Amino acid sequence: MTRFLLWLLGGVVLGGIIHIVVILTLPALAEQSLWSRVADIEADNRMVILPRVVAGEPNPLGLDPALAYGLCRVDLANGPAYVSGVLPEGFWSVALFNPSGIVTYSTTNRDGIGKTLELGIFNAAQTRLLAQQQLDIAEGLLVVESASDELLILVRLAPPHQVMRTRFEQELSEVECGTRN
Amino acid sequence: MRFVLYLLMMIVVALGVGFGLSYYALTDGRLFGVAQVGPWHAWPDVGANAPNPYTRGHLARTAAFELGQSEGLQFTATTDSDGQPLTRDCAYRIDGRTPLATFWTLVALDEAGINIAAPDVAPAMRSSAIARTDDGSIVINVGTRLLPLNWLELTGEGPFKLVLTLYDTAAFSGFSSDASMPVIIRGSCA
Repeated sequence: MTRFLLWLLGGVVLGGIIHIVVILTLPALAEQSLWSRVADIEADNRMVILPRVVAGEPNPLGLDPALAYGLCRVDLANGPAYVSGVLPEGFWSVALFNPSGIVTYSTTNRDGIGKTLELGIFNAAQTRLLAQQQLDIAEGLLVVESASDELLILVRLAPPHQVMRTRFEQELSEVECGTRN
Repeated sequence: MRFVLYLLMMIVVALGVGFGLSYYALTDGRLFGVAQVGPWHAWPDVGANAPNPYTRGHLARTAAFELGQSEGLQFTATTDSDGQPLTRDCAYRIDGRTPLATFWTLVALDEAGINIAAPDVAPAMRSSAIARTDDGSIVINVGTRLLPLNWLELTGEGPFKLVLTLYDTAAFSGFSSDASMPVIIRGSCA
């Protein structure tokens, strides 16, 4: 009996180890990632409006049908990135996704920024350089330090009503995004 | 002989516990980082910049644009408040209050994540576009057959889930206030 319980305990411990290994390796084993799903969208250094979510159609990116989405892909190896533009009156938010699909930075316009979206994104080396040069940072410019060079920038914009959506998407597509040398 | 039997049992137990627990952790996950408020559940650190390993596994499974921590939080319900799975054979009433948020949206999805709103109506219900009761609480009827008041009209048949996305809910940090999420009550069934 004792031997049986010992074997059982051994099985449970081994199961625990398998569980930990599965959970830790799962992100690396996934066939599809956020990045592979948006790989076909030509969003390099420009703001692209993602297609609207339609009822009955697949929605792999998990987008909210009520919102307009602008996506921009940047590589900080080419220089610091910027996002600059004026958005219409309404709720909007920005999120930066690293290559693992994790949100490394996010903010909303309730944080006192209002309608203007001014974001400067720097990697560690560029941040150091920026600090050394002791430049005056313009008021309203958000300086974000990123640990990874490759980033997806996603702007969510919520039109108060669906009839305003086309205009909101137009204004969102005029937001400038890219890297500066 | 006995040794072989014990060894086989250990292997079966190990595989069952290892993979079973992993599957549970990433689907139901109540013991592993999923927050539960009534029938609603959410992954609270899905938008954090250093999520825990279980949330990382969840992120890898969904591979979707999740909300950052300052942008909001998404709640999903697959059952009603009595624990019965949501099905399009029945009508449901969502009743109560939501946590403080700039606005929220409510969508109904099938098991594959496809929006199942009726073709001619808006695919999402938005907090600013519904009629409220005198005390400010919400009553939303969900179902395929004609329902009064705020009606999220669905199409098709089979199980579904409700996704309530709260935008800009930085104020909602603790999960102690159970009463703040609305209940889901089953009505008449076909």
